[in-house]
Amino acid sequence: MKTGRISMDEFLSEREQVLKSWPTGEGLSLEKGLEYQGTIPVEKNFAHWMKKAIDEKKTLLQPRAGVALVDEHIKLLQYLETEGQADLLPTTIDAYTRQNRYEEAQTGIAKSIAAKTSLLNGFPAVNHGLEECRRVTESVKSPIQVRHGTPDARLLAEITLAGGFTSFEGGGISYNIPYAKKVSLETSMAHWRWVDRLIGFYEDHGIHINREPFGPLTGTLVPPFVALTVAVIEGIAALTQGVKSITLGYGQGGNLVQDVAAMYALRELADEYFKREGFNDYELSTVFHQWMGGFPEDEAKAFSVITWGATVGRFAKATKIIVKTPHEAMGIPTKEANAQGLLASRQAINMLSEQVLPVGPTFRREIDLIKAEVNCIMDKIYELGLGDAQEGSIAAIKAGVLDVPFAPASVNHGKLLPMRDDEGYIRIYNWGKIPMAEEIKAFHAQRLNDRAKSEGRTVCFQMVTDDIYAISKGKLVGRPR
Amino acid sequence: MGNINIVLGVIGFDCHSVGNKILEHFFTEKGYSVHNLGVMVSQEEFINAAIETAAPIIMVSSLYGHGEIDCAGLREKCIEKGLEDILLYVGGNLVVGKTPLEQVESKFRKMGYDRVFGPDADLEAVDSILRVDLKEKGFSL
Repeated sequence: MKTGRISMDEFLSEREQVLKSWPTGEGLSLEKGLEYQGTIPVEKNFAHWMKKAIDEKKTLLQPRAGVALVDEHIKLLQYLETEGQADLLPTTIDAYTRQNRYEEAQTGIAKSIAAKTSLLNGFPAVNHGLEECRRVTESVKSPIQVRHGTPDARLLAEITLAGGFTSFEGGGISYNIPYAKKVSLETSMAHWRWVDRLIGFYEDHGIHINREPFGPLTGTLVPPFVALTVAVIEGIAALTQGVKSITLGYGQGGNLVQDVAAMYALRELADEYFKREGFNDYELSTVFHQWMGGFPEDEAKAFSVITWGATVGRFAKATKIIVKTPHEAMGIPTKEANAQGLLASRQAINMLSEQVLPVGPTFRREIDLIKAEVNCIMDKIYELGLGDAQEGSIAAIKAGVLDVPFAPASVNHGKLLPMRDDEGYIRIYNWGKIPMAEEIKAFHAQRLNDRAKSEGRTVCFQMVTDDIYAISKGKLVGRPR
Repeated sequence: MGNINIVLGVIGFDCHSVGNKILEHFFTEKGYSVHNLGVMVSQEEFINAAIETAAPIIMVSSLYGHGEIDCAGLREKCIEKGLEDILLYVGGNLVVGKTPLEQVESKFRKMGYDRVFGPDADLEAVDSILRVDLKEKGFSL
């Protein structure tokens, strides 16, 4: 049977349990949430901005940011809006909330008050509750998205949407495999179906809420086809529950051609699979994440990584770019460093606003390759799910048909090993259990042999390690010292 | 060196898994028996694993900024469980925000950690330090 839309009865009875999981959930009302969202002007609606950017062929910039206390968080967002000129704002949620550890988050709030500085790596929205969330969303002019990494984000979604946030990041795979250790896929996907239905409920009542599956996954040498397969599945899952504004993402790999090709392939594949599933009524936008792996500690070098990301994102026609900061190597940035990342990116995309990258045969080779790779896996996913992509994806991950490199989740096989070829494209060294066509495997092997030859060593695991740390050490490809 | 056990893991609710996999690979190649507890490891899990494997060292990683909260009290708990002599190494992005390593080091030293490393520590250097520390504890390498 195909995974369908959650019925209203099911949705409501599950909701009763969800609201009981922390005191700030008690007494929340869907009707009041709708009513409040109805008062938010369209200029502060995230989905509206994404649609407008597509229509005007613009690329928007968004930082990541979140601190423990409400007033400090407001100051941070206001600073990024005015000094950083961010188009879209975030509220990054702290890691305790992401694991539903509200007690620990409460301790973090108390310790942050005592230390007069944030000791949490994000904003604990559930602990702060509805009214404080509204105080945040009312304090800025721009729309705000909730960004996190939460396998069970049901209460967080209920509180933040009623609190005036108009976009919600995550998904049953992308917020499980890279963000959890022991959460079953059945559970995380069911919880995310509920979140998507909540957003579908808002859509049913004319309130547009943007949804964004998390594209970069582990952010470390993730081959485009892995990210895109997950994006397509989570897109299908969201649209099934009535989501309309969907933003699919991809994290920068480092090679210009491969990155631009991945973004082109992402749009084409999403439309193809969404149509195949019978969806026509959706607004598809894309997000390009600047380099998610290790950063150079030197701030001048970090700026180079940042602007290169902005450049590639603009050339790839991303609807928005998620911006990094010169403090990335050291952890959570100051608001000033965060604004600097935005301004550096702004300069780059502004200089490219009139320029179009000609997409020639090499680009087309990579676009077609990525699409063929995704199709190989999707065919197997449909087969395993007896026609149902969502069920099939669970079976596929368990069987290693879909495998995310370097992920913490125990359900993930972790046998897929990527590394760079001689031109810095991410290729596959070990396919694990992925059922890839032989000619595609041969192409990858050939490309890796070329690199091995030019480095005078055999293809080996050391290359993977070298590649992981290459950018933080000043290069793209991890050459032998 | 197959007889020297290392307990390794990422503490608290941190799910940064890449460096953890690299550390496991590196120290295994160096000849240690690495007991990798993976990500999201509690202090109790670290201690239990150290008792079970009779490891002379626990290596704690933290990348997400909550290290200050998560790492506090591990030394005291080790002592409670009879692991007075165990080496505690900690490394990563240990505090929220850009802070000079000396400052982080003195903070974590006070918390009872023997060695404190930044996010870009050279693993070969860490191994050399570890050998010195192990010799001092009477291990023949």
